[in-house]
Amino acid sequence: MIYVVVAVAVTIVIVIGVILSKGGSRQEPGVVSFRKHIDALSPESRREVMDRVRPAPRDDDFDEKPKG
Amino acid sequence: MARDLAIDLGTANTLVYMKGKGIVLNEPSVIALNRQTGEVLATGREAWQMIGRTPGYIVAVRPLRGGAITDFEITERMIRLLLQRVGVSRFTRPKVVICVPSAITEVERRAVTDAARRAGAADAQLIEQPMAAAIGADLPIDEPIGNMVIDIGGGTSETAVISLGGIVALEAVRVGSFDIDASIQAYVRREHGIAIGERTAEEVKVAIGSAAETEDESQAEVRGRDLMTGLPKTVVLTPEEIRFAIDDVISSIIASVVRCLAKAPPELAQDFLVRGMYLVGGGGLLRGLAQRIEKETQVPVRMSNMPLEAVVMGAGHCIEHYDALKGMFMGARR
Repeated sequence: MIYVVVAVAVTIVIVIGVILSKGGSRQEPGVVSFRKHIDALSPESRREVMDRVRPAPRDDDFDEKPKG
Repeated sequence: MARDLAIDLGTANTLVYMKGKGIVLNEPSVIALNRQTGEVLATGREAWQMIGRTPGYIVAVRPLRGGAITDFEITERMIRLLLQRVGVSRFTRPKVVICVPSAITEVERRAVTDAARRAGAADAQLIEQPMAAAIGADLPIDEPIGNMVIDIGGGTSETAVISLGGIVALEAVRVGSFDIDASIQAYVRREHGIAIGERTAEEVKVAIGSAAETEDESQAEVRGRDLMTGLPKTVVLTPEEIRFAIDDVISSIIASVVRCLAKAPPELAQDFLVRGMYLVGGGGLLRGLAQRIEKETQVPVRMSNMPLEAVVMGAGHCIEHYDALKGMFMGARR
């Protein structure tokens, strides 16, 4: 009988633990994705694109280039 | 495997950024068609040179007006040709991020994404031009400080306040540098009685156009067709005349900047006085415009380092960090 009671108690503790851990992780994606979003916009992150584009040639062979 | 692309589909120019490579295409958003057969005869620079100089069976058109698609079919063909030119085939279908004016309607949005998908894109996402411009202008938009960007394009002018990676306040008007050209055309027609083409009007704007008085001003000779006699005629235009001709357009752009400033939360508004506003887009290159905005708003105005490329660079950054930044795309759940 005692074994049954212990097994039920352990099961309840495990179920509560699982529920709580899922509840906690539900918060995580928002925080993590916001952090990723902000980090991806940092100047260090943008440096690669800036450096890649900076030396890109402007069309010098075209003297009548229209501007927007 | 196709490399993903970012496209600044502007009313005036189209720029394409290829992931891992940089800007691979930069040319006018113009397409020349055979009116009878519907065949594409030229695109980009070659087609731009044909504007106003074509025989009856050829038509050179800008398929975008005010940043919106005016002819869906022609735009789709132009996007298809653009993608082909940068190496996209039916077997290599890239993800594409396209910059569009923030004020476009749901129907226009769908028209752009459908055109890109039909033209060969596996997935097409849209990003607001001022947001892309702020990223490309290297503003510290990842910080909780007020960044203000004014993007003056061919058909639209947009002002946005950006903080912590999101748009806080936004104002857009469907007025841009093509409206400046049109005002010059109308003025010359009205005051001097001659008709000039849109390319000539643009040349006048570039040569002597200004939004405020500048130090080295000169006059310009303009040739057109006399409306009374039909004969070619030359007139001399002064910078004061051009300023008068374009004043309504400039005032409309500045009014939208003021409205955006008024929308900004006070905590961010104080940042503008220190950091200033950043001007991007080809329209921002008009002489004296920065000084005039500064004078009328009492906020410093700074020119971006690469005003013509800022928007596509911002979109290019989004394609490089697609997963982290997909929340920025229009219609995405944030």
